[in-house]
Amino acid sequence: MNLKARLLFVALILGALPAAHAQLAWEKTELEFRPKLGEKEVVAQFRYENKGTKQVTFKNLKSTCGCTVASLKKNEVEPGEKGEITATFSIGGRTGLQHKAVMVETDDPAQPTLNLQLHVYIPEALSMQPSFVYWQTGEEPKPKTITIKAGEGVAISKLDVSSSIPDFTTKVKRGSKDGEFLVSVQPKNTAQALTATLTIKPDYPKTLYASARVTPPGSLGDFR
Amino acid sequence: MTRDLLRQTALLLVIALVPAIGQAVYYRDRVSWNAPAVEKDEVTIEQARAWGANVLWVDARPDDQFARQHVPNAVPLNEDRWDELLPRFLETWSPDRRVVVYCSSQSCAASHEVARRLREQAGLPAVFVLHGGWEAWLEGNK
Repeated sequence: MNLKARLLFVALILGALPAAHAQLAWEKTELEFRPKLGEKEVVAQFRYENKGTKQVTFKNLKSTCGCTVASLKKNEVEPGEKGEITATFSIGGRTGLQHKAVMVETDDPAQPTLNLQLHVYIPEALSMQPSFVYWQTGEEPKPKTITIKAGEGVAISKLDVSSSIPDFTTKVKRGSKDGEFLVSVQPKNTAQALTATLTIKPDYPKTLYASARVTPPGSLGDFR
Repeated sequence: MTRDLLRQTALLLVIALVPAIGQAVYYRDRVSWNAPAVEKDEVTIEQARAWGANVLWVDARPDDQFARQHVPNAVPLNEDRWDELLPRFLETWSPDRRVVVYCSSQSCAASHEVARRLREQAGLPAVFVLHGGWEAWLEGNK
């Protein structure tokens, strides 16, 4: 290798070095939360520090879900400056383990994009499976069962179920496990279309709603 | 000898490049090597359209986006108000209609989550997700 080629090689290596380290150092890029029953939202703070020698500008923050709103106090981060991105996740009617992400875009060539992740385990006071039972018109009106289960730390000893129309009868019995109830639903007949809302009231401050229907058979056939 | 070989290789590459560029320009809207693959519970806009009136469209986007614009006759069902919206959706559902859930853009996971809950919690049999989401529907209706 001649001298010119060697110098070019060294220059390329040196030129690439500053780009190899991202300027923003993040305390954590993944956070885990376990909100309590009844909590409406989770607020996550992703802290960073500009450990480089140049200003970094946030160009864009994009959430993968309309339920998560990300915000910044300012877009420019001076060398040595610390800050945070706040991501507010609205729980709404979500249950179970939720993974949400915020994509961060900066003008730092070493790390132009970064995903900040939230893992949220949302407890469920009461679960219902299935929340919908249906029969096709003319089908034998056999009873169908909805299982209600109490979540962790929730105790229920009693459950009342009522139908919005008298064409369905309901019976409740205890399941094989603690906090489990089996709701048997049966239409009196399936001669005509029917729609009912079943109101399920345990001795716990939460009411569940299930749906029961007798529906005309579809022209495409039964998907079940 | 080596120079000739290099020249011929370069010539072949240039010749191959011309139709490649032409194809990339001609098919730019139809084929993309960056496009995510259609997942097994997804349907394309063409498939959903072929089902015609036997599709029940479900909009899994937040309320404000649904209010702004939505697929004609679509039913709103998002996880922000799941308990409230699910009974309304179930009143509209019938066994002869396939359910196609959409949210906004390919990165949105809400449609997959809503479809999963409809299958697992409500026990519905034919629930699909629109590949490409709301943007695919807009694109297909230009």
